[in-house]
Amino acid sequence: MRAVVAGAWALTCLATFAVAAGNAAPGYAGLPGGTFKSALAYEDAKQGVRIAPFSLMRKPVTNGEFLAFVRAHPEWQRGRAPKIFAEGRYLEHWQGPTTLGDRALPEQPVTWVSWFAADAYCASVGARLPSWNEWEYAAAADETRRDARNDPAWRERILAWQSRPSDAALPRAGLQAPNAYGLQDMHGLVWEWTDDFASLLVSGDDRNQGDADRNKFCGAGALSTDDRDNYVVLMRVAMLSSLEARDATANLGFRCARSVR
Amino acid sequence: MKHLRAMATCVALLFASIGAAQAGTPAARPADSVYQLSVPLTDARGKTQDWRALEGKPRIVAMFYTSCPYMCPLIVESAKAVVHALPAAERERVGVVLISLDPARDTPAVLRDTATKRNIDTTRWLVAAPAPADVRKIAGVLDVRYRRLADGNFNHTSALVLLDAKGRIVARTEQVGPEPDAAFLSAVRAQLAK
Amino acid sequence: MIKRFARVFVVAACVAAAAGCGGKEKAVDGEKPVATESGGSLKGDLGPPQGPDVRAVLTTPPMVPPATGRKTPARVIVELDVIEKEMPISEGVTYTFWTFGGTVPGSFIRVRQGDTVVLHLRNMPHSKMPHNIDLHGVTGPGGGAASSFTAPGHVSRFTFKALNAGLFVYHCATAPVGMHIANGMYGLILVEPPEGMPKVDREYYVMQGDFYTTGKYREKGLQPFDMEKAIDERPTYVLFNGMEGALTGDKALTAKTGETVRLYVGNGGPNLVSSFHVIGEIFDKVWFEGGTRFQENVQTTLIPAGGAAIMDFHIEVPGSYVLVDHSIFRAFNKGALAILKAEGPERKDIYSGKEVDAMYIGDRASANLSAVSQATTAAKTGALTAEDQVKAGEALFAGTCSTCHQANGQGMPGVFPPLAGSDFIAADPKRVPSIILHGLVGKVTVNGKEYNSNMPPMSQLTDDEVANIATYVLNSWGNPGGRVTKEEATALRAAKPATASEGH
Repeated sequence: MRAVVAGAWALTCLATFAVAAGNAAPGYAGLPGGTFKSALAYEDAKQGVRIAPFSLMRKPVTNGEFLAFVRAHPEWQRGRAPKIFAEGRYLEHWQGPTTLGDRALPEQPVTWVSWFAADAYCASVGARLPSWNEWEYAAAADETRRDARNDPAWRERILAWQSRPSDAALPRAGLQAPNAYGLQDMHGLVWEWTDDFASLLVSGDDRNQGDADRNKFCGAGALSTDDRDNYVVLMRVAMLSSLEARDATANLGFRCARSVR
Repeated sequence: MKHLRAMATCVALLFASIGAAQAGTPAARPADSVYQLSVPLTDARGKTQDWRALEGKPRIVAMFYTSCPYMCPLIVESAKAVVHALPAAERERVGVVLISLDPARDTPAVLRDTATKRNIDTTRWLVAAPAPADVRKIAGVLDVRYRRLADGNFNHTSALVLLDAKGRIVARTEQVGPEPDAAFLSAVRAQLAK
Repeated sequence: MIKRFARVFVVAACVAAAAGCGGKEKAVDGEKPVATESGGSLKGDLGPPQGPDVRAVLTTPPMVPPATGRKTPARVIVELDVIEKEMPISEGVTYTFWTFGGTVPGSFIRVRQGDTVVLHLRNMPHSKMPHNIDLHGVTGPGGGAASSFTAPGHVSRFTFKALNAGLFVYHCATAPVGMHIANGMYGLILVEPPEGMPKVDREYYVMQGDFYTTGKYREKGLQPFDMEKAIDERPTYVLFNGMEGALTGDKALTAKTGETVRLYVGNGGPNLVSSFHVIGEIFDKVWFEGGTRFQENVQTTLIPAGGAAIMDFHIEVPGSYVLVDHSIFRAFNKGALAILKAEGPERKDIYSGKEVDAMYIGDRASANLSAVSQATTAAKTGALTAEDQVKAGEALFAGTCSTCHQANGQGMPGVFPPLAGSDFIAADPKRVPSIILHGLVGKVTVNGKEYNSNMPPMSQLTDDEVANIATYVLNSWGNPGGRVTKEEATALRAAKPATASEGH
């Protein structure tokens, strides 16, 4: 019985919160920030990382939105963007440089985009890519709780995405229920670029735990994952750390963030 | 600091307004050249110019930061070791560029100090800092990974990257120290033989 | 494999009956060819001890005492202290270990076959428990356990002759035995064959054990022993040398390229069998089960609980080699991981490192978008069939509902109710679109089980999508079938939410 009340209360709370975050631009949700304990054991931030208030797009950027961007910024069209910024498969699923075709529906999240392209898109709408810490903090929520990470059911739900075949068509952006901040599709739709994805110094072979190769990185050893039960974060980090900024993949998209000034 | 950023922004705008036409014709610049990126660098003498000015000569590029206690001096030594391993006649023909990951602290004065401390001849080597917003982009084209730590230090890839005259990455090494990486060294020589 | 064995035996047979053998039999690597049998304990009594008593050199892990170097049997004095002490088991986590010699595993004992071993077991005065020792290297009932049962603040002594050569586990066998072992009371005793072990550059001592704490993996503070988990064989930690990180970082094992490394590896248990493997190396030799014969060119060797093995490998390439129990979740989620760091010049001819990272196009199979877009098109033209709706609904379900209700509609026991063969749906099929739109708060009973989670309203879905998902659910997993139209969804969206109390 108590759980029911709590649940109802959480929903009410959401409603008021949505009002409180009303200063976020349309399409963005405001997040209060605070001290956040990342699943990554930063040797220099054992007590957690400080996150300033920011707002984040409610949904990942879609093919339709990205199409408008490349029309306005022809230098980012397929075939025009230089290889150093976008690899050969950039937007390969589009029918043409400015046509989506039937392999890329306007409502689907855009994929096959490089970090440089995502960064340019966000700049074009007066925003930026979120930092990894911002992203992880925003993604820790489920529909009713801002930090659901200790709930095994939450983790299992997210892991379930892995069992969907990766050649199945992507659902549209915004199909899933919003989380406690009003954000949709943080999990279970696409991987997402972060501004500082290249700060995730986790090697593809994590079998050298406790063997920080000091020659490789200056300062403290490389990042190690503290809560190794948290496969959800580990997989995402492994994915992002396998990439260079010009790379693009079939399952990697992005959304933009804004600092609250 | 604020002043530096403002200046960098000004410079960036300046370059944007001049347009790509003067910074070499785009046709001549390969699609995989790092000079596709147009970013201002401010050197130890406080002089700011677009890094596209580095085109036209093979260069050994590394990212570092001056307050780094351990690895960065080694990066400097590695670059020196590679240059010293070249015949005297060839040394002049390869440039060395050290780019700061930490523009907030690496002001021209600080860069100058470091150059003096590490015996770097700044007439031959470029030691410079980008605008804060451009660090990630430069790291992106050079495939350098880094993370700022709470204490102001950085974790970062310690790599020497060899660019050809057109800005294409032709070799890289993560072997640091007084012994030059043989494969990297021969890549440098191959560039100079062109 | 079989063939190689056969050859070894043929060679052995030839040596035994040298006269009867034609060809010149060459022993591998100039080693003495193995006899068909060593004779075991029958031939292990090499006579009375000679010379002065020898005090055994005991080492703490990962070090191994030097070879005995003796050619004759001796009386060897071993003094082992039993110490109960709190030590770290992981970072910020401590555990009350019971130890032989103050370490887990206990001190390494090294004697020669035929030696007479006098074992003094001293139990510290502040110990809470009596303890004893059962050495698998002892020939005699209980392996010494009954003779060495020692109360706190007492010392016991017993003597045995080491009749069998091999690498043997010793452990405490005081009731409850499992608990004493689970708390770290085990170690290794090496009984060298009379001719000694072949010389190598480095020898290390590694021993695996499983640990059971009431708290979760890496839960901070002093962690008590959890008997339930121990009986269920669900360890919190699986460790080499009693502590996570005992052999990593600054404490990693070291070697140089060009050296041959020997590991004496034991498995204290109490429960798990180890699939011992060194990532990036192949064992040139494994004296499997710690016995007399070796197998060659082995990737992974099985070490039973209460068993041991000896392995040699020559290091060519510098770098970090990772020792693991290849039951791999133990390595990455329970701590069974150690590092051997080898220094020396690169050998690119043997191992290059990454040479290529290029774009790989694959076969360019593209995702099939048809179901959803077909349904959209069909809906526009008015030609939408129930079948179209089911197909579209299936794709939509996978993108949103399946994370809780699972792709097969089974739900998650105790958390999210099943949709498959659901009596709750059968009782009122129109519930489906309504709950999708308005959510569900409170207790529901589905197929006799109670659920009390909170399903948020899925108001982000369009009326089309609600209709298609509901139609898919109704026509799947043994549900009653039927169809929900877009118009019905529109009407339901405006209607007052159904509450969970309906029908209860």
